[in-house]
This record gives sequence, structure tokens and C-alpha cells, in this order.
Amino acid sequence: MKLEICSFSGYKIYPAKGKTYVRIDSRTFRFINGKAESYFLQRLNPRKVRWTTIYRRLNKKGITEEVAKKRSRKTVKHERAVAGTTWEAIRAKRNQKPDARAAARQAAIAKSKEAKKATAKKA
Amino acid sequence: MIGLKGTLNVIDNSGAIVAECIRVMSGARFARAGDEIVCVVKRARPINPSIAGTQAAAQKVKKGDVKHALVVRTKKEMRRPDGRYIRFDDNACILLNAKKEPLGTRVLGVVAAELRQKNWMKAASLAPRIV
Repeated sequence: MKLEICSFSGYKIYPAKGKTYVRIDSRTFRFINGKAESYFLQRLNPRKVRWTTIYRRLNKKGITEEVAKKRSRKTVKHERAVAGTTWEAIRAKRNQKPDARAAARQAAIAKSKEAKKATAKKA
Repeated sequence: MIGLKGTLNVIDNSGAIVAECIRVMSGARFARAGDEIVCVVKRARPINPSIAGTQAAAQKVKKGDVKHALVVRTKKEMRRPDGRYIRFDDNACILLNAKKEPLGTRVLGVVAAELRQKNWMKAASLAPRIV
């Protein structure tokens, strides 16, 4: 026993129910009842007729939240080495403690001051 | 439900286009798919003497010919043994000769499965699609 589905409303058609309509171009359409058949022959769009399964699926009626939000997209960030430095060097710099960074800065400032003094003396 | 004066499209390549029923052979008032009728050819393809070969051979009828025919599609829904109802978009028939064989050599379009049920095997075998 094969359960057909209605071409218009999407309902299941059990045996001995409904009508089959064969168009001249040999396309077959099954209808669960005269209502669906009438709508179809009036060339109404099932996507706009509220009680059809197509409309309900399109407008997400009757589906619970979790089923709708089943898959969340997660982009994984990959750390990569750049042309100038290796990955270890990048990581080391990032994980430097703030005091260490400050100390390094002071050292750099002192160094540049000395270098300036040296050049001023020479000139 | 084809009765007296009912018009049908002729879907074989016998040359006829429209036929009108003048008698239902089973004695009933109306013919269903798979029933034999007598019909008059109301419109036929013009028989062109200049067409040679297979086309000329196939065009066997002209307007006004009285022929037997077999109804293959009806607009009135018919009941299948499983309780399903099926209907087509038009009324169609194929012409038969005196030996109850199809007059044409090809059938164009879909036909009803009632042909097989009622033992019109030759006609059913010519059909490209049976529903």
C-alpha cells in the first residue's frame, strides 16, 4: 500500500480516497478531495493558501524552536605564522606579562636615548 | 462518458483529427475508456498527394468517413479496482479497422489502463504511456 501525497495540499492520500487527474501533457496530479482539486484547477498557488503543508513549511508554522535552531554555524579560528615571524614568536609576544612589556619598553626607550646622545656628541 | 454526438480527439496517425460518436457498440448509452464506438470523422488532415513515403501510407481517412473507434481517454472520471478515481483532460479515441485492429501505426499521448483490462492488447502496446 503506497501512500500518495496530494499535489496541492500535501496531505497523505490513503487508498480509495481522492482523485487522480492526468493532464494532456501526461503529468499526473493527485488530490485528496474536491477542495484541493478545485483550488488546483483555479490555478491558485498552494504557497499562498494557508492550510496547505507547503504554506506551513514556508512560513515555519507549527515547528518548535529547537528543531528550527538545530545547527549553529561556528567558525573556527586558526592561528597561523606570518611571513616575518614564526608562530612561537607571535605567541610569545602575545602572552608577555604587562610588567615585562613595560620593562621591555623602558629598556627600548633608554637604548634609543643613549643612541641619540651618542649621535649628538659625535655631531 | 461518450454518447451520441460526443466529440473526441483522434490520437493516432491515421489522419483524422476530430471524430464524432454516432453509436456506442456495447448497447449502453455512454461509452467509457476501453469501449468501442462507431464514429464519423469530422476533421482530418488534408491528404496531400505530393507527400511520399510513410506519411502518405499513414493517412487513411478523410472527412466524413464512418469508422469504428476505441475510446482511450475520457474527461469523466473512471473508477479503478483499488477505489481510485482517475480522469483525463480530454476525450480521445483511436480508429479501428474492420478486424478491430488499430488503423494507425502510432498512438500519440497517454492512454487509460482500461485498454489492457478490456483486452485491447494491440492498441495498448502502441501507446507510449499508459496511466
